[in-house]
Amino acid sequence: MSNNTPIAQTPLFDRKASIRGYKLNKMAMSLGEAPNRIAFLADEEAFLDSYGLDDETKTAVMSRNWHEMVRLGGNLFFILKISAVDPTPIIAIGAAQAGMSVEDFMVQRLGKKNG
Amino acid sequence: MAEIIGGIGTSHVPSIGVALDKGLDQTPVWKPFFDGYDYTKEWIAEHKPDVAVVVFNDHGNAMFLDRVPTFTVGVADRYKPADEGWGPRDIPDFIGAEDMSWHFADKLVENHFDPMIAREITVDHGLQVPMELCFGRPKDCWPVTILPIWVNTVQYPIPTPQRCWDMGKILRDAIESFPGDERVVILGTGGLSHQLQGARAGFLNEAADRDWLSTIARDPDKWRSMRREDYVEKFGSEGAELIMWLVMRGAMNSDVTVKHTHYHLPASMTGAGCIVLENT
Repeated sequence: MSNNTPIAQTPLFDRKASIRGYKLNKMAMSLGEAPNRIAFLADEEAFLDSYGLDDETKTAVMSRNWHEMVRLGGNLFFILKISAVDPTPIIAIGAAQAGMSVEDFMVQRLGKKNG
Repeated sequence: MAEIIGGIGTSHVPSIGVALDKGLDQTPVWKPFFDGYDYTKEWIAEHKPDVAVVVFNDHGNAMFLDRVPTFTVGVADRYKPADEGWGPRDIPDFIGAEDMSWHFADKLVENHFDPMIAREITVDHGLQVPMELCFGRPKDCWPVTILPIWVNTVQYPIPTPQRCWDMGKILRDAIESFPGDERVVILGTGGLSHQLQGARAGFLNEAADRDWLSTIARDPDKWRSMRREDYVEKFGSEGAELIMWLVMRGAMNSDVTVKHTHYHLPASMTGAGCIVLENT
């Protein structure tokens, strides 16, 4: 199965994404180990450089642009470990990708009552 | 011979574990979700399984993209809970049902399945959360040993629903030919509808979720013959995890009794639910 029959607004983590995002996902997965979290927090750019991330990907990570990270091959399950270091709530990551405020996202996508 | 005493389908949303860690399970947001598992816990207490087979996927915690096994069988004597970036969770290690795991691996390969066989591996929320929902949070040790089965649902190609079903048939044969008197419960986990990636993030489909819960027992053929693309479209990119329930369902009789169903929307960003099945 590949993206031969694309589903709107739904990136599948396939060959292309896996290759494009390999270094980003590898860096993110390493944050499952406490010493790497400390190194990431101490000097984020140096940590990203140690995984060989290109400038475009570094910018996406350092600005916490989740939509862009996914576009560059980041898989949510890996890059969630970046959000754990911050911490950034997953609902904020969903809202950012949907291009909505967290409040609108909660109401329009997750069916939460307003207020 | 060992015996299958029932099958449970359940979500494994990580926020459920976080809610338990923070003691939020009785708050207004979470109580209706957790209340739906009271019956499941009672059923477990009454039927006293010795082994839990848990079918789940790793979420970039124990397996990286350097090698992506479509199916993995754990044969370890002990599994540590994974640190998913938030630090270690205060739950006991899981003890492996080693002999049954090896027996299952033998049966799979004899029947032309080719799993990865894993001796040293951590288990993430995909296994932890269903165990907590079914067995509560023990202080020192879990009341069952585990036989973990990992299914790749992260990197495409993921296995077909039919393949998951077929694995369930072999799982049943393996349990029923295992020399022992263990009582085995099978947990198929994941779903229900959710999507975490892309502009459709936050996609939920209550109608599809309710259709799944109301027909997985009596009409599983409809689901095992459905295309993966249709799972993604209907349940969201991560909702396609539901194919893992088919391993459990395939291991049960064609006629099953539904003892319990529960649905809650949303748990975090996910349609969440549970079903408890017994062979008729």
